[in-house]
Amino acid sequence: MSEPNRKPKSSAALLQSRRNALRSYLGAYGFMAPAGVLVLIFFLIPVAIVLYLSVTNLASSNFTSDLAKMEFIGLKNYRTLFNDQFARKIFFNTIFYVLVTLSLFNVSLALIVSLLTTHIDRSAGFVFRALWILPRITSPVVYILIWKRMAAEAPFGILNQFNELLGNPTYNYVATNPWVFVVVVNGFIGVSFGMIIFTSAIESIPKDLLNASLVDGSSRMQRIRYVILPLIRWPLLFVVTYQTLSLLTSFVEIQLLTDGGPGLYRTEVWSLTAFHRALSNYFGNAQWGYGSAFAVLLVMIGVVLAVIYMRVFRFDELVAEPRVEAL
Amino acid sequence: MIRKLSFTVLFVLLLGLFAGFAVAQDAVNITIRCIASPPEEDWRCNNFAVVEEQVEADLGIELNLNLIQDNASWGDYKNEFVLASEAGEAPDIILSGHEDIGAWAPAGFIIPLDDVIPMHSEFEDIVPSLWDSHGYAGQIWGIPQDAEARPIFYSKLLLRDLGWSEDDIESLPDRVASGEFTFADMLATAEAAIEEGVVDSGNGWWHRPSNGPDFLYYYYGHGGEVLDMEGNLVVDRDALVATYELLGGAVESGVLRSDIIGLDWSEVWHPTVGQAETVLFAAGGTWNWPNWAINYVADRGGDEYLFENIGLTLIPAMGTGKAITLTHPLTYMISSGSPHPDVALALIAAITTPEHNNKHAIDSFHLGILNAQLESEAYANNRLLSSAHYMLDHTTSLPNHPGWNAWSGAYFLGIQAVETGEADAAGAADIAIAQMQNELGDGITVR
Repeated sequence: MSEPNRKPKSSAALLQSRRNALRSYLGAYGFMAPAGVLVLIFFLIPVAIVLYLSVTNLASSNFTSDLAKMEFIGLKNYRTLFNDQFARKIFFNTIFYVLVTLSLFNVSLALIVSLLTTHIDRSAGFVFRALWILPRITSPVVYILIWKRMAAEAPFGILNQFNELLGNPTYNYVATNPWVFVVVVNGFIGVSFGMIIFTSAIESIPKDLLNASLVDGSSRMQRIRYVILPLIRWPLLFVVTYQTLSLLTSFVEIQLLTDGGPGLYRTEVWSLTAFHRALSNYFGNAQWGYGSAFAVLLVMIGVVLAVIYMRVFRFDELVAEPRVEAL
Repeated sequence: MIRKLSFTVLFVLLLGLFAGFAVAQDAVNITIRCIASPPEEDWRCNNFAVVEEQVEADLGIELNLNLIQDNASWGDYKNEFVLASEAGEAPDIILSGHEDIGAWAPAGFIIPLDDVIPMHSEFEDIVPSLWDSHGYAGQIWGIPQDAEARPIFYSKLLLRDLGWSEDDIESLPDRVASGEFTFADMLATAEAAIEEGVVDSGNGWWHRPSNGPDFLYYYYGHGGEVLDMEGNLVVDRDALVATYELLGGAVESGVLRSDIIGLDWSEVWHPTVGQAETVLFAAGGTWNWPNWAINYVADRGGDEYLFENIGLTLIPAMGTGKAITLTHPLTYMISSGSPHPDVALALIAAITTPEHNNKHAIDSFHLGILNAQLESEAYANNRLLSSAHYMLDHTTSLPNHPGWNAWSGAYFLGIQAVETGEADAAGAADIAIAQMQNELGDGITVR
């Protein structure tokens, strides 16, 4: 419908309006610029470089940092990768590792720890949460050394010392249950992130709501199920997304614990393969180009998953306004 | 007065500083990078400090040596040199495994030495066979720093428990060298030890718990080759299958534990083997001995305990009928970015003497690299070295080839497959060959 009474804007007013729009745009982009520059320098440019490396045959035996001197080989690295008889196994190892660690520890246990520590004495809750942060702040080498010392076979491992005392058989725990240790070791680190987010979300729930549920006669479990969980839905989704992507690229603890073994890539994950190929092997001549092909696929998987999560979890709504306060 | 004195002191200090700069500018800076397990291998870099004044006097220059030595992991150490070379910050001298020549020579990171080696008489005395592992594309690219043997260590303690006489035990190295006592005999002995309860199942024989040069001698021992006459990569399927049969068979018979790969070196492997009470035979390296003496059995008497309870012998004969070992010489290479390669080589020549190399050989139980060392009193009188030097006559080495990394990675996959029971010997060979062909393409010939 037309607006006949509306006066046409004068050219000066139009100019002023455009200036205002530009100013607001500049303001918005100005605030985004620091983050944008960081993303450009530490994500987009490295991705572009790795993408280029993945179509070269760069190795220690022809290494150069001059992009123009690298030998372009097209998609050969990708053909080699897809023809690798263990690529499929490593891919599914990665899916398994991410799904199990995420679901059992990074989300579930983190949530349980948060719920438990927010339902006990405040200072005791703080102490327990501090303990759960220890795996995160301990150096990975020291952390894995502790686990290895604990799980080592008799007579070296602590667990087996108890087995010997009790007259039980002893085990080489990591070799016989590698996935259990890989998941638990990484999961204990992952718990702390979700725990902090969930705890702060639970703590920020208005007390009126919690008290109202008590007045209505809800049990603790009912209060968690019908009040707390719906109110921390957004932090939950954020943790799921962030930790999925984080687990996809994590490999340090696996490298130190099993180095992808035992046997044929039993616990090898995609990011560890990229590292092994491009940066680390016993006899040198690292395959920078081939390793980059693994890294590029990992980036692609990460980006696709991020987009899916953003769509499914409606991240535009997540960042729109705080949900707790909105209620 | 105080003001005047202060100015004078300041002037003198500045003068000293400028003089220092002037001297430093005239000095020749040489950076040397070594990998070494402390303290027994520290002479690898420390020897350069010992000869610094001598080289200064010989060349009439002032040297400023920068020695960087640590016990980094091999992968990190090698990457460090590659990246430093590309950044123009490579050390003048790098000590690394001879197989790196295969990657660093074609990359242009190190220089060939054929023309300059004759300028230093010290190099004339190097054991000739060691030069074989320093060649690439028809040229020599490094100077041997040490040699070693990778023997089978046997527990005298446990062999005595098994009923072996002292004569049987002491004559074992000779019987192995002559081919009388074969690898099959070794496995049979281990089986007998398990049956009689001398050792637990899985502790009859241990090999190293991670990838490394040792594994190649099983393949060599079955007649396999890695390079053909033209220097191209090859793989012999029959030798590969035979190797995997040997390793898989050892696991099946209970002699070798299926989870040996992945055991922690320092937490489990060294203390177990070094104490000689648990494992009957163990494939290791000569340098393990001082490590055990210092770190694992020092409280039991160190060297004396080891001499009493551990012996070492060649790897018993396998398919070829000949006892074997493998030498993995570390090599001093000169960076192509070094502004003073002549000085770097003079330094290497100065430490390539019986006197200096003996210190490393004796402290770390690495074999000598010079003929004259064999005749030197310190070397000849060393009980350990004199008991192992003959192994150089039976030795083999890794190939110097850019594709060796892919080859060895695939070969090791087969070993993991057969030992964990994920494939039989033929299946493991198929896995290894498929992996080699996928990664090396036309660069590998299957025979």
